[in-house]
This record gives sequence, structure tokens and C-alpha cells, in this order.
Amino acid sequence: MSTLLFLIGEAFVNLRRNALVATGAILAVFVSLALAFGALVFNELVRVNTLQWQEGDHLIIFLKDEGGPVAHSELLSQINDYPEVKNAWYLDKAGAYQEFLEIYSDQPALAATVTAADLPASIRVELEDISTYQEVQFRLVGHPLLRRLSVFSEGIERLLSLTGVLNSIGIGLVVLMGASAVVLIANTIRMAIYARREEIAIMKLVGAGNWFIRVPFIIEGATVGLLGGGLAAAAVFASHNLLERIPTDILIRFQADQGFLLSRAILILAFGGLAGFIGSSLGLRRFLRV
Amino acid sequence: MIRLHNVAKVYDGGVVAVQEVSMDVRKGEFVFLVGPSGSGKSTLIRMCLREEKATRGKIWVAGKDITKLPTWRVPYLRRTVGTIFQDFKLLPTKTVAENVAFALKVTGCPRSIVRRQVNTVLELVGLSAKTDRYPRQLSGGEQQRVSIARAFVNRPPILLADEPTGNLDPATSVGIMRLLDRINRTGTTVMMATHDFAIVDAMRRRVVQLDRGRVVRDQSGSGYESSDET
Ligand SMILES: Nc1ncnc2c1ncn2[C@@H]1O[C@H](COP(=O)(O)OP(=O)(O)OP(=O)(O)O)[C@@H](O)[C@H]1O
Ligand SMILES: [Mg+2]
Repeated sequence: MSTLLFLIGEAFVNLRRNALVATGAILAVFVSLALAFGALVFNELVRVNTLQWQEGDHLIIFLKDEGGPVAHSELLSQINDYPEVKNAWYLDKAGAYQEFLEIYSDQPALAATVTAADLPASIRVELEDISTYQEVQFRLVGHPLLRRLSVFSEGIERLLSLTGVLNSIGIGLVVLMGASAVVLIANTIRMAIYARREEIAIMKLVGAGNWFIRVPFIIEGATVGLLGGGLAAAAVFASHNLLERIPTDILIRFQADQGFLLSRAILILAFGGLAGFIGSSLGLRRFLRV
Repeated sequence: MIRLHNVAKVYDGGVVAVQEVSMDVRKGEFVFLVGPSGSGKSTLIRMCLREEKATRGKIWVAGKDITKLPTWRVPYLRRTVGTIFQDFKLLPTKTVAENVAFALKVTGCPRSIVRRQVNTVLELVGLSAKTDRYPRQLSGGEQQRVSIARAFVNRPPILLADEPTGNLDPATSVGIMRLLDRINRTGTTVMMATHDFAIVDAMRRRVVQLDRGRVVRDQSGSGYESSDET
């Protein structure tokens, strides 16, 4: 017990002596883990956003006022008969105003300039299969009531084609950056061993066992990994907070679930510690033959 | 305590440093290893610590055949053998007390005992007033006292010294030798390699003389140069 405390103490004294190199390693691990963590979060954002589209409104058909609710409901029943359409529903001017107020609830000045009459009624369409949105688009081309078809379609298409790629890139980044964190720490530890080789020789001469010499280095590596991982988690939390301020009505939601963020942050932290452990073990290999 | 049987050491590259050396050092003996530079004194001491492996022959230290010792047991060997070197080999980032304590920490000795033992031993070598200094803040003689304290702190049965007075002036050397003599009188076996004929002549102990790796003289109560009395 007192031996372990002693070895932990040794590790921190050594870290302090080696502050410059250790700081460099911590920052480098921070960058690679932040990238890895960022990739995880980005993937989650993509998943959440595409999920929203899968479940929610896939198309928004903004209508001209002509004909009024009667003509509108006629079109609605037509659209509901399209084979591609799973469900369509009507949002009248009052509903649109309500939605507008919700979206801009944090900007009352803007809301005050708009009345229900200024906003178009619309038909919201949920598709059976969102890749068929263009068929619906074609069916509606030139319809007299059509004011504008929602912009979501392009976003959907682009994101759908991207999610697969983004996911692979994200996973690749996580693996690559994780590996580079391990290598970085292994290198740092090797440098620390080199710098202290005379002291190590003396320690061995006095009868220090291999583990007595190894443990402080391993603690050192794990600390570097944990600090780098901690910084990475903090940085991703901070940038997520910034992203969250972007209003949510535009194409993409920038919020990831806090629970998700927290669990991934713990994962990244644990990974940092593990990378430190593996890295320092690698750095210690080959050395320490008596 | 230390027994060598037909020991030879050939370094990589073919240098024969030690050959056909047999000797037996009994418990409580004080042995000087003398001989010209390059005659194999340091090599012999390093083999007794398993810093080098003997190429041929057998070496028993404290009853164990250390030529067969598995690597992981080597630290245990070194805890039964205190070592003192010409260049002191102190840890530069540790204080006097921490340097001495280190030899006990490696054995997993509890802190309270470490503190007590360290204080006792530092008193013995006359450094109680300088326990918190760093090695660079000490004179050569003081540094050597620290290394003697470290070598002796866990009461090893054997002490090996390779030119412990090599970097010290004659007066300081006498002080160091007095310490080693006192430690020897507590029953510790001491083997010391040296060029310092004044010391060897003054102490009149067993002298083993090496030349080109061979034992050419092994004489009790002798001096640096061969003497006819036995
Ligand atoms: N690591 C080594 N590799 C190769 N040859 C070595 C090595 N160490 C010592 N030697 C050689 O072995 C021989 C004996 O060296 P050793 O250091 O044992 O002599 P010594 O008696 O201690 O000398 P000195 O009095 O100068 O300290 C010398 O010829 C030396 O050059
Ligand atoms: Mg020598």
C-alpha cells in the first residue's frame, strides 16, 4: 500500500520534471481524441437528423391562398391517394402562425411583425420511402395551388447519401486517432525512459524490481492519456454548447442528447486512460532487461 | 558468503576479462581486490551482482548459485548485496534521506520502519544534519557516505565496493575506510576493489591480486605489494 503511494508519488514528480514533453503529449493526445470524439458526436448528429426526417415531415407543400380551405382539402385527399405517400396532413394559416411563433419564440420582435394572414397554409407529407420524394415532386409540378415545394428534399438526399460515408469516415477517424494517441504516449514514455536511463540503472543496482520501475511510467502514461481525454471531452462539450445556440428551425438540429454526450465523454476518458496504459506498456517493452 | 569456481568472463568481441578464477570469501571477511588497470576487478564485482553473466564457471553469493538465477530473481540478489562505487551512483533528484530510503522502498518496507532505519543509518555515517540536501550540494566524501548508508540500510550480509575511495582525497578516504571497517565488524562480508595501496597497507587484510584476469596472489593480513610473511 505505502509502496503504491510511493510509486504514484514518483510518477507525478517525474511528470513535473518532464513537464514540457508531458504537456506536448497531453496536447497531442487531446487533439487526436477530440477529433475522434468529435467524429462520434458528428455521427450522432447525422443519425438524429436523418432519423427526424424519416419519422417526420418529408415534404412541405406551401399553398397559394386561392380557393381557400375547400380547394386545399381537395388537394390534400389527392395527395393522400398517392402511392408514395404514407400520410399527409393540412396545416392552415393559424397553425402556421403557431408554428412560426414556436420557432421564433426567442425573437419576439420578429414575431410581432408577422400575422397569421402573412403565412401560407401548407400540406405536410410523410413518405413511405423517403427516396421517392421526387415522384411526388413530379406529380405536383404545375399544380395551380402550389406556391413552393419544401426545401427539405435536397437536404434529405444529400444527407442520406452522405450518412453512410460519414459513418465510415467517423469510425475510421476514431480508430486512427485512437491509435495515434497510443503511439504518441508510447513515444513519450520511451523518451522519458531514455532521459532517465542512468537513474533506472542505479535503481536496478539497488535492487528495484521491474515492476517497481515500470509502474511509475505506466501511471505517467495513463495520466497523460486521461488528461488528454479529459481536455478532449471538455472541448467537445464546449463546442457542442456553441452549436446548440444555432436556431433549430434550419435544416439540421445541432443538439445531441446530453446522456449520449456524457456516455461518450466517459468513453473517451476511459479510452485516454487505456491508450496511456497500452502506450506506456508498449514504450516499456524491450527495455528493462537486467 | 562469496564463492567462485573456475569463473571466466569473455566480453562480446572476445576480450577475456577474467579467467580460471576460484576463491572463497567467508562470512565476516574483508577482502581487497587489487591489480593493475584492466586486470578484471570490476568485472568480477559486476558478475557477483549479475550485472554481467559469467561466461564459464559458477558463482555462489549468500549460498545461492547466481549463475543459474532467473532474471526476475536478480533484484532479490541485489537486495542482499550492498554496493558502493567510485562515482557514488546517487539519484540526483532525490535528497540524501530519499536516496537512502529508496533501497528500503524497493523491498516494500513500510514507511514508519523506513524512516526509523534511514535516520539510524544516516546518524551512523555522520550525515544527520544533511538529510534534506541533494547530492549536488554535498562534497564527494559526503556523497560516498550517503551511498554507504544506502548500501547498508537494509543490513545486507555482503557489501561490494568498486574503488570507493577512487575520487576522494587521502584524508576523506580514511574516513570512508573507517566506516567500511565498522560495518565489517558488525559481521558484514566486504569485498573491495582498489588501487589505493596506502589503504591496503594500513588495513592488513586479505588481499586477492589479479593480473590479466587471473588470481596471482591470495594472501591474508597482507599489503598492496606481495609480502613474504604469511
Ligand atoms: N563492457 C565491456 N565490454 C568489453 N570489454 C570490457 C567491458 N568491460 C570491461 N572490459 C574489458 O575487460 C577487461 C577488464 O576490465 P575491468 O573493468 O574489469 O578492469 P579493472 O581491473 O576494473 O580495471 P580498473 O582498475 O581500471 O578499474 C579490460 O580489458 C576491459 O577493457
Ligand atoms: Mg574497475
